[in-house]
Amino acid sequence: MSPQTRSVENWTLQPLTDFVREASVRLVLVLTPSGQVLAQSGFSRAVDVMSAAALAAAIVATTGELARQLQQPPFAALSHQGPKHGFFLATFTSDRGTLAVLAVYDLDVSSLGLVQLFYEQLAADLKAASPKTTVPKQVLAADFERELTDSLNTLFGR
Amino acid sequence: MADDIRALSAQLAQDPQSLVFLRLGEALRRKGQLDAALRVAMNGLERHPHLADAHDLYARILTDKRDYERAFDEWDMAVRIAPNHTGALKGLAFLYFKVGDLAQAESHLEAARKVEPDDPSIDQAITMMRGGVSPPVPEPTVASPTVASPTLGALDEARVFAGLEGANEGLLLIDGAGRVLGGALRDRAGADVTDAVAAYLAGVSQEAARTAKLLGLGAWNGLSAEGQQGNVHLAHPTPEALLLVVRERGIPLGRLAILAHRATAMARRWLERGT
Amino acid sequence: MSTALDLITRVRGVRGAMLVSADDGIVIAEQLMEGIKGGAVAALAASLAGRLRRAMEAAGTGTSVFWHLQAEQGALLVVPDGNSSVAGGGGILVVAVAEPDVNIGLVRLELLRVAETVV
Repeated sequence: MSPQTRSVENWTLQPLTDFVREASVRLVLVLTPSGQVLAQSGFSRAVDVMSAAALAAAIVATTGELARQLQQPPFAALSHQGPKHGFFLATFTSDRGTLAVLAVYDLDVSSLGLVQLFYEQLAADLKAASPKTTVPKQVLAADFERELTDSLNTLFGR
Repeated sequence: MADDIRALSAQLAQDPQSLVFLRLGEALRRKGQLDAALRVAMNGLERHPHLADAHDLYARILTDKRDYERAFDEWDMAVRIAPNHTGALKGLAFLYFKVGDLAQAESHLEAARKVEPDDPSIDQAITMMRGGVSPPVPEPTVASPTVASPTLGALDEARVFAGLEGANEGLLLIDGAGRVLGGALRDRAGADVTDAVAAYLAGVSQEAARTAKLLGLGAWNGLSAEGQQGNVHLAHPTPEALLLVVRERGIPLGRLAILAHRATAMARRWLERGT
Repeated sequence: MSTALDLITRVRGVRGAMLVSADDGIVIAEQLMEGIKGGAVAALAASLAGRLRRAMEAAGTGTSVFWHLQAEQGALLVVPDGNSSVAGGGGILVVAVAEPDVNIGLVRLELLRVAETVV
Protein backbone atom coordinates (compact mmCIF):
# COMPACT_ATOMS: atom_id res chain seq x y z
CA MET A 1 0.00 0.00 0.00
CA SER A 2 1.23 3.44 -0.84
CA PRO A 3 1.99 6.08 1.73
CA GLN A 4 0.87 9.39 0.24
CA THR A 5 3.77 11.82 0.32
CA ARG A 6 6.80 11.46 2.59
CA SER A 7 10.05 13.33 2.84
CA VAL A 8 13.47 12.77 4.32
CA GLU A 9 14.12 16.52 4.30
CA ASN A 10 11.05 18.32 5.60
CA TRP A 11 11.37 21.45 3.47
CA THR A 12 10.48 19.38 0.41
CA LEU A 13 7.16 18.12 1.79
CA GLN A 14 4.77 21.04 1.17
CA PRO A 15 5.98 21.83 -2.37
CA LEU A 16 5.77 18.15 -3.28
CA THR A 17 2.30 17.73 -1.75
CA ASP A 18 1.06 20.73 -3.76
CA PHE A 19 2.61 19.36 -6.95
CA VAL A 20 0.99 15.94 -6.52
CA ARG A 21 -2.42 17.53 -5.96
CA GLU A 22 -2.27 20.04 -8.80
CA ALA A 23 -0.62 17.90 -11.47
CA SER A 24 -2.51 14.71 -10.47
CA VAL A 25 0.65 12.66 -10.79
CA ARG A 26 0.78 9.09 -9.55
CA LEU A 27 4.41 8.72 -8.48
CA VAL A 28 7.07 11.31 -7.75
CA LEU A 29 10.65 11.25 -6.53
CA VAL A 30 12.75 14.25 -5.58
CA LEU A 31 16.38 13.16 -5.62
CA THR A 32 19.94 14.29 -6.01
CA PRO A 33 21.88 13.37 -9.16
CA SER A 34 23.67 10.71 -7.13
CA GLY A 35 20.36 8.97 -6.44
CA GLN A 36 19.77 10.08 -2.85
CA VAL A 37 16.01 10.43 -2.36
CA LEU A 38 14.78 13.54 -0.52
CA ALA A 39 11.05 12.86 -0.88
CA GLN A 40 8.62 10.49 -2.54
CA SER A 41 4.94 10.23 -3.27
CA GLY A 42 2.86 7.22 -4.27
CA PHE A 43 5.47 4.47 -4.07
CA SER A 44 4.36 1.33 -2.31
CA ARG A 45 7.62 -0.51 -1.75
CA ALA A 46 11.12 0.54 -0.71
CA VAL A 47 12.62 -1.55 -3.48
CA ASP A 48 10.64 0.42 -6.10
CA VAL A 49 11.98 3.71 -4.73
CA MET A 50 15.52 2.40 -4.77
CA SER A 51 15.37 1.15 -8.36
CA ALA A 52 13.49 4.22 -9.65
CA ALA A 53 16.01 6.52 -7.96
CA ALA A 54 18.97 4.57 -9.35
CA LEU A 55 17.48 4.57 -12.88
CA ALA A 56 16.58 8.26 -12.73
CA ALA A 57 20.07 9.15 -11.52
CA ALA A 58 21.53 7.08 -14.36
CA ILE A 59 19.36 8.89 -16.92
CA VAL A 60 20.38 12.28 -15.51
CA ALA A 61 24.05 11.25 -15.73
CA THR A 62 23.68 9.84 -19.26
CA THR A 63 21.84 12.81 -20.74
CA GLY A 64 24.20 15.19 -18.92
CA GLU A 65 27.16 13.47 -20.55
CA LEU A 66 25.45 13.49 -23.97
CA ALA A 67 24.86 17.22 -23.61
CA ARG A 68 28.46 17.73 -22.55
CA GLN A 69 29.71 15.85 -25.63
CA LEU A 70 27.46 18.01 -27.79
CA GLN A 71 28.96 21.02 -26.02
CA GLN A 72 25.67 22.35 -24.78
CA PRO A 73 24.11 22.90 -21.34
CA PRO A 74 22.44 19.88 -19.71
CA PHE A 75 18.99 19.01 -21.07
CA ALA A 76 16.30 20.66 -18.98
CA ALA A 77 13.74 17.87 -19.09
CA LEU A 78 12.99 14.49 -20.55
CA SER A 79 9.57 13.03 -21.27
CA HIS A 80 8.38 9.62 -22.42
CA GLN A 81 4.83 8.55 -23.07
CA GLY A 82 3.33 5.09 -23.33
CA PRO A 83 -0.26 4.15 -24.07
CA LYS A 84 -1.44 4.67 -20.47
CA HIS A 85 1.31 6.38 -18.52
CA GLY A 86 3.87 9.08 -19.11
CA PHE A 87 6.99 9.95 -17.21
CA PHE A 88 8.78 13.23 -16.84
CA LEU A 89 12.29 13.78 -15.53
CA ALA A 90 13.84 17.20 -15.03
CA THR A 91 16.64 18.82 -13.05
CA PHE A 92 17.10 22.26 -11.54
CA THR A 93 19.64 23.89 -9.30
CA SER A 94 18.87 25.01 -5.78
CA ASP A 95 20.81 25.98 -2.70
CA ARG A 96 20.74 22.28 -1.85
CA GLY A 97 22.63 21.60 -5.11
CA THR A 98 21.22 20.12 -8.32
CA LEU A 99 17.99 18.26 -7.73
CA ALA A 100 16.04 15.95 -10.04
CA VAL A 101 12.30 15.32 -10.10
CA LEU A 102 10.88 12.13 -11.57
CA ALA A 103 7.09 12.13 -12.07
CA VAL A 104 4.89 9.35 -13.43
CA TYR A 105 1.34 10.24 -14.48
CA ASP A 106 -1.73 8.49 -15.91
CA LEU A 107 -2.73 9.89 -19.27
CA ASP A 108 -6.38 9.51 -18.21
CA VAL A 109 -6.09 12.09 -15.46
CA SER A 110 -3.12 14.28 -16.34
CA SER A 111 -0.98 15.36 -19.27
CA LEU A 112 2.55 16.40 -20.10
CA GLY A 113 1.41 20.02 -20.22
CA LEU A 114 -0.07 19.91 -16.71
CA VAL A 115 3.00 18.15 -15.32
CA GLN A 116 5.33 20.69 -16.96
CA LEU A 117 3.20 23.59 -15.74
CA PHE A 118 3.15 22.51 -12.12
CA TYR A 119 6.75 21.23 -12.23
CA GLU A 120 7.82 24.85 -12.83
CA GLN A 121 5.97 25.81 -9.66
CA LEU A 122 7.48 22.85 -7.78
CA ALA A 123 11.01 23.81 -8.83
CA ALA A 124 10.41 27.44 -7.81
CA ASP A 125 8.93 26.38 -4.44
CA LEU A 126 11.77 23.96 -3.75
CA LYS A 127 14.35 26.59 -4.67
CA ALA A 128 12.72 29.04 -2.30
CA ALA A 129 12.51 26.51 0.53
CA SER A 130 15.87 24.80 0.15
CA PRO A 131 18.42 25.32 2.91
CA LYS A 132 21.83 26.77 2.04
CA THR A 133 24.26 24.01 1.16
CA THR A 134 26.62 22.98 3.88
CA VAL A 135 29.97 21.41 2.99
CA PRO A 136 29.03 17.92 1.78
CA LYS A 137 30.11 15.41 4.35
CA GLN A 138 32.17 12.42 3.41
CA VAL A 139 29.97 9.34 3.26
CA LEU A 140 31.85 6.36 4.56
CA ALA A 141 30.90 2.88 3.41
CA ALA A 142 30.01 2.01 6.98
CA ASP A 143 27.58 4.95 7.20
CA PHE A 144 26.04 4.39 3.79
CA GLU A 145 23.84 1.44 4.62
CA ARG A 146 22.65 2.98 7.86
CA GLU A 147 21.80 6.27 6.14
CA LEU A 148 19.99 4.44 3.35
CA THR A 149 17.98 2.42 5.86
CA ASP A 150 17.13 5.57 7.83
CA SER A 151 16.00 7.34 4.66
CA LEU A 152 13.82 4.45 3.53
CA ASN A 153 12.28 4.17 6.98
CA THR A 154 11.39 7.85 6.87
CA LEU A 155 10.04 7.61 3.32
CA PHE A 156 7.73 4.77 4.31
CA GLY A 157 6.75 6.04 7.73
CA ARG A 158 8.25 3.15 9.65
CA MET B 1 -31.83 -9.44 -2.94
CA ALA B 2 -31.70 -12.17 -5.63
CA ASP B 3 -34.61 -10.48 -7.38
CA ASP B 4 -32.79 -7.16 -7.19
CA ILE B 5 -29.74 -8.70 -8.78
CA ARG B 6 -31.83 -10.28 -11.54
CA ALA B 7 -33.58 -6.98 -12.23
CA LEU B 8 -30.36 -4.99 -12.22
CA SER B 9 -28.66 -7.56 -14.48
CA ALA B 10 -31.55 -7.28 -16.93
CA GLN B 11 -31.32 -3.48 -16.87
CA LEU B 12 -27.60 -3.62 -17.50
CA ALA B 13 -28.02 -6.09 -20.35
CA GLN B 14 -30.57 -3.76 -21.92
CA ASP B 15 -28.35 -0.69 -21.56
CA PRO B 16 -24.69 -1.68 -21.06
CA GLN B 17 -23.60 1.98 -21.07
CA SER B 18 -25.77 2.85 -18.07
CA LEU B 19 -24.49 3.26 -14.53
CA VAL B 20 -26.65 0.39 -13.28
CA PHE B 21 -23.43 -1.61 -12.96
CA LEU B 22 -22.67 0.42 -9.81
CA ARG B 23 -25.79 -0.85 -8.07
CA LEU B 24 -25.42 -4.37 -9.47
CA GLY B 25 -21.76 -4.60 -8.43
CA GLU B 26 -22.64 -3.36 -4.94
CA ALA B 27 -25.55 -5.80 -4.63
CA LEU B 28 -23.30 -8.71 -5.63
CA ARG B 29 -20.61 -7.54 -3.21
CA ARG B 30 -23.07 -7.40 -0.33
CA LYS B 31 -24.24 -10.88 -1.21
CA GLY B 32 -20.66 -12.12 -1.05
CA GLN B 33 -20.50 -12.96 -4.76
CA LEU B 34 -17.17 -11.21 -5.03
CA ASP B 35 -15.94 -12.70 -8.30
CA ALA B 36 -19.16 -11.77 -10.06
CA ALA B 37 -19.06 -8.31 -8.47
CA LEU B 38 -15.48 -7.91 -9.64
CA ARG B 39 -16.42 -8.77 -13.24
CA VAL B 40 -19.29 -6.27 -13.19
CA ALA B 41 -17.05 -3.54 -11.75
CA MET B 42 -14.27 -4.21 -14.26
CA ASN B 43 -16.69 -4.13 -17.20
CA GLY B 44 -18.12 -0.89 -15.86
CA LEU B 45 -14.66 0.59 -15.46
CA GLU B 46 -13.80 -0.27 -19.04
CA ARG B 47 -16.80 1.76 -20.20
CA HIS B 48 -16.41 4.54 -17.63
CA PRO B 49 -12.68 4.79 -16.81
CA HIS B 50 -13.03 8.38 -15.59
CA LEU B 51 -15.88 7.72 -13.19
CA ALA B 52 -14.76 8.03 -9.58
CA ASP B 53 -17.73 5.96 -8.37
CA ALA B 54 -16.61 3.05 -10.56
CA HIS B 55 -13.13 3.09 -9.01
CA ASP B 56 -14.75 3.33 -5.57
CA LEU B 57 -16.91 0.25 -6.23
CA TYR B 58 -13.93 -1.70 -7.54
CA ALA B 59 -11.88 -0.73 -4.47
CA ARG B 60 -14.60 -1.91 -2.08
CA ILE B 61 -14.76 -5.30 -3.78
CA LEU B 62 -10.96 -5.59 -3.72
CA THR B 63 -11.02 -4.71 -0.02
CA ASP B 64 -13.50 -7.53 0.61
CA LYS B 65 -11.08 -9.81 -1.23
CA ARG B 66 -8.29 -8.46 1.02
CA ASP B 67 -6.36 -7.17 -1.98
CA TYR B 68 -5.47 -3.96 -0.16
CA GLU B 69 -2.69 -2.83 -2.49
CA ARG B 70 -4.94 -2.67 -5.52
CA ALA B 71 -7.81 -1.29 -3.46
CA PHE B 72 -5.54 1.55 -2.41
CA ASP B 73 -4.66 2.30 -6.02
CA GLU B 74 -8.35 2.39 -7.00
CA TRP B 75 -9.38 4.70 -4.16
CA ASP B 76 -6.33 6.81 -4.88
CA MET B 77 -7.46 7.09 -8.50
CA ALA B 78 -11.03 7.96 -7.41
CA VAL B 79 -9.68 10.84 -5.30
CA ARG B 80 -7.53 12.06 -8.17
CA ILE B 81 -10.60 12.16 -10.41
CA ALA B 82 -12.91 13.59 -7.74
CA PRO B 83 -10.96 15.05 -4.80
CA ASN B 84 -14.15 15.37 -2.73
CA HIS B 85 -15.25 11.74 -3.14
CA THR B 86 -16.05 10.88 0.46
CA GLY B 87 -16.37 7.14 -0.19
CA ALA B 88 -12.82 7.02 -1.50
CA LEU B 89 -11.51 9.27 1.28
CA LYS B 90 -13.10 6.97 3.87
CA GLY B 91 -11.70 3.95 2.03
CA LEU B 92 -8.18 5.35 2.09
CA ALA B 93 -8.61 6.15 5.79
CA PHE B 94 -9.63 2.54 6.42
CA LEU B 95 -6.56 1.20 4.59
CA TYR B 96 -4.21 3.62 6.35
CA PHE B 97 -5.64 2.47 9.66
CA LYS B 98 -5.00 -1.12 8.64
CA VAL B 99 -1.27 -0.46 8.19
CA GLY B 100 -1.10 1.56 11.42
CA ASP B 101 -0.73 5.00 9.86
CA LEU B 102 -3.20 6.74 12.15
CA ALA B 103 -2.17 10.26 11.14
CA GLN B 104 -2.96 9.64 7.47
CA ALA B 105 -6.15 7.76 8.39
CA GLU B 106 -7.39 10.68 10.47
CA SER B 107 -6.38 13.26 7.89
CA HIS B 108 -8.43 11.44 5.22
CA LEU B 109 -11.43 11.21 7.54
CA GLU B 110 -11.09 14.91 8.33
CA ALA B 111 -11.02 15.64 4.59
CA ALA B 112 -14.22 13.59 4.20
CA ARG B 113 -15.83 15.45 7.11
CA LYS B 114 -15.11 18.78 5.42
CA VAL B 115 -17.07 17.60 2.40
CA GLU B 116 -19.90 16.01 4.38
CA PRO B 117 -20.05 17.64 7.82
CA ASP B 118 -23.45 16.07 8.50
CA ASP B 119 -22.41 12.47 7.86
CA PRO B 120 -22.46 10.77 11.31
CA SER B 121 -20.53 7.75 10.02
CA ILE B 122 -17.40 9.90 9.62
CA ASP B 123 -17.51 11.09 13.24
CA GLN B 124 -18.11 7.51 14.34
CA ALA B 125 -15.12 6.29 12.33
CA ILE B 126 -12.88 8.97 13.86
CA THR B 127 -14.03 8.07 17.37
CA MET B 128 -13.55 4.34 16.75
CA MET B 129 -10.14 4.89 15.26
CA ARG B 130 -8.97 7.01 18.19
CA GLY B 131 -10.15 4.24 20.47
CA GLY B 132 -7.99 1.77 18.57
CA VAL B 133 -10.95 0.09 16.86
CA SER B 134 -10.83 -0.28 13.08
CA PRO B 135 -13.33 1.95 11.32
CA PRO B 136 -15.79 -0.04 9.22
CA VAL B 137 -15.18 -0.70 5.55
CA PRO B 138 -16.81 2.33 3.93
CA GLU B 139 -20.23 1.87 2.48
CA PRO B 140 -20.96 3.30 -0.93
CA THR B 141 -22.08 6.85 -1.39
CA VAL B 142 -23.57 5.82 -4.72
CA ALA B 143 -26.09 3.13 -3.88
CA SER B 144 -28.85 5.59 -4.72
CA PRO B 145 -27.05 8.11 -6.87
CA THR B 146 -30.05 10.30 -7.38
CA VAL B 147 -30.74 10.93 -3.69
CA ALA B 148 -30.44 14.61 -2.89
CA SER B 149 -28.13 16.02 -0.24
CA PRO B 150 -29.50 15.42 3.28
CA THR B 151 -29.77 19.14 3.96
CA LEU B 152 -31.97 19.51 0.95
CA GLY B 153 -33.92 16.31 1.42
CA ALA B 154 -36.95 18.16 2.68
CA LEU B 155 -37.32 20.01 -0.59
CA ASP B 156 -39.28 18.65 -3.49
CA GLU B 157 -36.59 18.13 -6.08
CA ALA B 158 -39.14 17.74 -8.87
CA ARG B 159 -40.24 21.34 -8.35
CA VAL B 160 -36.89 23.08 -8.59
CA PHE B 161 -37.40 24.00 -12.22
CA ALA B 162 -41.21 23.81 -12.23
CA GLY B 163 -42.65 25.76 -15.13
CA LEU B 164 -39.37 26.00 -17.00
CA GLU B 165 -39.14 24.43 -20.44
CA GLY B 166 -37.39 21.03 -20.35
CA ALA B 167 -37.47 20.85 -16.54
CA ASN B 168 -37.43 17.05 -16.49
CA GLU B 169 -35.20 16.22 -19.39
CA GLY B 170 -32.69 19.00 -19.99
CA LEU B 171 -31.97 20.73 -16.69
CA LEU B 172 -29.82 19.38 -13.92
CA LEU B 173 -28.80 20.79 -10.55
CA ILE B 174 -26.01 19.06 -8.62
CA ASP B 175 -23.89 19.75 -5.56
CA GLY B 176 -20.10 20.08 -5.50
CA ALA B 177 -19.62 16.36 -4.96
CA GLY B 178 -21.59 15.46 -8.09
CA ARG B 179 -24.82 14.46 -6.30
CA VAL B 180 -28.10 15.28 -7.98
CA LEU B 181 -30.21 17.94 -6.24
CA GLY B 182 -32.89 18.36 -8.86
CA GLY B 183 -33.87 18.10 -12.52
CA ALA B 184 -33.06 15.30 -14.92
CA LEU B 185 -31.34 14.65 -18.23
CA ARG B 186 -32.24 12.39 -21.10
CA ASP B 187 -30.15 11.72 -24.16
CA ARG B 188 -31.49 11.83 -27.73
CA ALA B 189 -32.68 8.23 -27.47
CA GLY B 190 -34.67 9.09 -24.34
CA ALA B 191 -32.39 7.20 -21.94
CA ASP B 192 -31.90 8.72 -18.49
CA VAL B 193 -28.31 9.95 -18.32
CA THR B 194 -28.70 12.06 -15.17
CA ASP B 195 -26.30 10.14 -12.96
CA ALA B 196 -23.60 9.68 -15.57
CA VAL B 197 -23.52 13.38 -16.43
CA ALA B 198 -23.68 14.45 -12.77
CA ALA B 199 -20.69 12.26 -12.01
CA TYR B 200 -18.56 14.06 -14.60
CA LEU B 201 -19.75 17.62 -13.97
CA ALA B 202 -17.99 18.16 -10.65
CA GLY B 203 -14.68 17.53 -12.41
CA VAL B 204 -15.55 19.98 -15.19
CA SER B 205 -16.44 22.64 -12.65
CA GLN B 206 -13.25 22.17 -10.62
CA GLU B 207 -11.15 22.41 -13.76
CA ALA B 208 -13.05 25.49 -14.98
CA ALA B 209 -12.44 27.22 -11.64
CA ARG B 210 -8.75 26.32 -11.65
CA THR B 211 -8.30 27.41 -15.27
CA ALA B 212 -9.94 30.80 -14.72
CA LYS B 213 -7.97 31.37 -11.53
CA LEU B 214 -4.53 30.40 -12.86
CA LEU B 215 -4.97 32.33 -16.09
CA GLY B 216 -5.85 35.45 -14.14
CA LEU B 217 -9.40 35.58 -15.53
CA GLY B 218 -11.04 35.89 -12.11
CA ALA B 219 -13.99 33.75 -11.05
CA TRP B 220 -15.73 31.81 -13.82
CA ASN B 221 -19.42 32.39 -14.28
CA GLY B 222 -20.39 30.17 -17.19
CA LEU B 223 -19.23 27.50 -19.61
CA SER B 224 -21.06 27.10 -22.91
CA ALA B 225 -20.36 24.30 -25.37
CA GLU B 226 -21.71 23.51 -28.78
CA GLY B 227 -21.80 19.76 -29.44
CA GLN B 228 -22.30 17.78 -32.61
CA GLN B 229 -25.78 16.75 -31.45
CA GLY B 230 -26.62 19.26 -28.74
CA ASN B 231 -25.58 22.36 -26.84
CA VAL B 232 -24.88 22.75 -23.14
CA HIS B 233 -24.43 25.58 -20.66
CA LEU B 234 -22.93 25.13 -17.20
CA ALA B 235 -23.34 27.75 -14.45
CA HIS B 236 -23.11 27.83 -10.68
CA PRO B 237 -26.11 29.34 -8.90
CA THR B 238 -24.21 29.17 -5.58
CA PRO B 239 -20.54 28.43 -4.91
CA GLU B 240 -21.45 24.84 -3.97
CA ALA B 241 -24.01 24.05 -6.66
CA LEU B 242 -23.82 23.53 -10.42
CA LEU B 243 -26.52 23.91 -12.98
CA LEU B 244 -26.44 22.29 -16.41
CA VAL B 245 -28.79 23.13 -19.24
CA VAL B 246 -28.81 20.82 -22.26
CA ARG B 247 -30.71 21.52 -25.47
CA GLU B 248 -30.75 20.31 -29.05
CA ARG B 249 -28.22 21.72 -31.50
CA GLY B 250 -30.78 24.08 -33.04
CA ILE B 251 -30.98 26.21 -29.89
CA PRO B 252 -28.19 28.79 -30.20
CA LEU B 253 -25.70 29.21 -27.34
CA GLY B 254 -26.91 32.76 -26.70
CA ARG B 255 -30.48 31.60 -26.11
CA LEU B 256 -29.19 28.76 -23.98
CA ALA B 257 -27.33 31.28 -21.81
CA ILE B 258 -30.57 33.24 -21.27
CA LEU B 259 -32.41 30.06 -20.34
CA ALA B 260 -29.56 29.13 -18.00
CA HIS B 261 -29.77 32.56 -16.41
CA ARG B 262 -33.48 32.06 -15.62
CA ALA B 263 -32.88 28.53 -14.36
CA THR B 264 -29.98 29.79 -12.22
CA ALA B 265 -32.25 32.33 -10.52
CA MET B 266 -34.88 29.62 -9.85
CA ALA B 267 -32.27 27.20 -8.54
CA ARG B 268 -30.80 29.87 -6.27
CA ARG B 269 -34.22 30.63 -4.77
CA TRP B 270 -34.90 26.91 -4.34
CA LEU B 271 -31.55 26.33 -2.66
CA GLU B 272 -32.05 29.30 -0.33
CA ARG B 273 -35.40 27.87 0.77
CA GLY B 274 -33.61 24.67 1.80
CA THR B 275 -31.01 26.28 4.02
CA MET C 1 0.59 28.82 -38.76
CA SER C 2 1.20 32.27 -37.33
CA THR C 3 -0.65 33.75 -40.33
CA ALA C 4 -3.58 31.52 -39.46
CA LEU C 5 -3.48 32.72 -35.86
CA ASP C 6 -3.49 36.32 -37.16
CA LEU C 7 -7.09 35.74 -38.21
CA ILE C 8 -7.99 35.35 -34.57
CA THR C 9 -5.75 37.92 -32.90
CA ARG C 10 -6.91 40.71 -35.21
CA VAL C 11 -10.39 40.47 -33.65
CA ARG C 12 -10.78 43.30 -31.16
CA GLY C 13 -10.55 42.10 -27.57
CA VAL C 14 -8.53 38.96 -28.34
CA ARG C 15 -5.34 38.86 -26.27
CA GLY C 16 -3.84 35.76 -27.76
CA ALA C 17 -4.38 32.73 -29.94
CA MET C 18 -2.77 29.31 -29.88
CA LEU C 19 -2.72 25.85 -31.36
CA VAL C 20 -2.50 23.25 -28.62
CA SER C 21 -1.97 19.49 -28.64
CA ALA C 22 -5.21 18.14 -27.16
CA ASP C 23 -3.64 15.00 -25.66
CA ASP C 24 -0.46 16.52 -24.23
CA GLY C 25 -1.65 20.03 -23.38
CA ILE C 26 1.45 21.57 -24.90
CA VAL C 27 1.84 24.53 -27.26
CA ILE C 28 2.13 23.91 -31.01
CA ALA C 29 2.01 27.55 -32.10
CA GLU C 30 1.16 30.77 -30.31
CA GLN C 31 0.64 34.45 -30.81
CA LEU C 32 0.15 36.06 -27.42
CA MET C 33 0.15 39.48 -25.86
CA GLU C 34 2.71 40.03 -23.16
CA GLY C 35 1.77 38.61 -19.80
CA ILE C 36 -0.17 35.60 -21.09
CA LYS C 37 1.51 32.33 -20.17
CA GLY C 38 1.20 30.09 -23.21
CA GLY C 39 2.19 26.91 -21.39
CA ALA C 40 -0.43 27.44 -18.71
CA VAL C 41 -3.17 28.24 -21.22
CA ALA C 42 -2.30 25.12 -23.24
CA ALA C 43 -2.17 22.75 -20.27
CA LEU C 44 -5.34 24.01 -18.63
CA ALA C 45 -7.38 24.35 -21.82
CA ALA C 46 -6.52 20.78 -22.82
CA SER C 47 -7.37 19.45 -19.38
CA LEU C 48 -10.71 21.25 -19.31
CA ALA C 49 -11.41 20.13 -22.88
CA GLY C 50 -10.86 16.49 -21.86
CA ARG C 51 -13.20 16.71 -18.90
CA LEU C 52 -15.85 18.53 -20.89
CA ARG C 53 -15.65 15.92 -23.66
CA ARG C 54 -16.43 13.13 -21.19
CA ALA C 55 -19.37 15.02 -19.69
CA MET C 56 -20.80 15.84 -23.12
CA GLU C 57 -20.42 12.26 -24.32
CA ALA C 58 -22.30 11.13 -21.20
CA ALA C 59 -25.02 13.71 -21.93
CA GLY C 60 -25.40 12.39 -25.48
CA THR C 61 -24.65 15.72 -27.11
CA GLY C 62 -21.63 14.38 -28.98
CA THR C 63 -18.22 15.96 -28.68
CA SER C 64 -17.89 19.70 -28.65
CA VAL C 65 -17.21 21.72 -31.79
CA PHE C 66 -16.81 24.97 -29.84
CA TRP C 67 -16.72 25.89 -26.17
CA HIS C 68 -16.38 29.07 -24.24
CA LEU C 69 -15.43 29.65 -20.58
CA GLN C 70 -16.72 33.01 -19.39
CA ALA C 71 -15.02 34.58 -16.37
CA GLU C 72 -15.18 37.95 -14.62
CA GLN C 73 -12.01 39.31 -16.21
CA GLY C 74 -11.73 37.38 -19.42
CA ALA C 75 -12.76 34.45 -21.53
CA LEU C 76 -11.25 31.32 -23.00
CA LEU C 77 -12.66 30.19 -26.34
CA VAL C 78 -11.78 26.84 -27.90
CA VAL C 79 -12.48 24.91 -31.09
CA PRO C 80 -11.30 21.27 -30.97
CA ASP C 81 -10.52 19.69 -34.33
CA GLY C 82 -12.16 16.40 -35.33
CA ASN C 83 -9.37 14.24 -33.91
CA SER C 84 -9.83 15.76 -30.45
CA SER C 85 -13.06 13.82 -30.01
CA VAL C 86 -11.02 10.72 -29.14
CA ALA C 87 -8.57 10.56 -26.23
CA GLY C 88 -5.15 9.81 -27.70
CA GLY C 89 -6.38 10.75 -31.17
CA GLY C 90 -3.66 13.34 -31.67
CA GLY C 91 -6.12 16.21 -31.99
CA ILE C 92 -5.48 19.93 -31.97
CA LEU C 93 -7.28 22.68 -30.06
CA VAL C 94 -7.52 26.17 -31.51
CA VAL C 95 -7.59 28.47 -28.48
CA ALA C 96 -8.22 32.18 -27.94
CA VAL C 97 -7.81 34.19 -24.74
CA ALA C 98 -9.97 37.30 -24.79
CA GLU C 99 -11.38 40.23 -22.86
CA PRO C 100 -14.73 39.54 -21.17
CA ASP C 101 -16.67 41.75 -23.58
CA VAL C 102 -15.21 40.30 -26.81
CA ASN C 103 -17.51 39.53 -29.74
CA ILE C 104 -17.84 35.80 -29.11
CA GLY C 105 -19.61 35.08 -32.39
CA LEU C 106 -16.80 36.63 -34.40
CA VAL C 107 -14.04 34.85 -32.49
CA ARG C 108 -15.94 31.57 -32.89
CA LEU C 109 -16.05 32.02 -36.66
CA GLU C 110 -12.33 32.74 -36.85
CA LEU C 111 -11.47 29.81 -34.60
CA LEU C 112 -13.53 27.49 -36.82
CA ARG C 113 -11.87 28.90 -39.91
CA VAL C 114 -8.39 28.36 -38.46
CA ALA C 115 -9.32 24.82 -37.39
CA GLU C 116 -10.23 24.06 -41.02
CA THR C 117 -6.99 25.59 -42.27
CA VAL C 118 -4.52 23.87 -39.98
CA VAL C 119 -5.95 20.36 -39.88
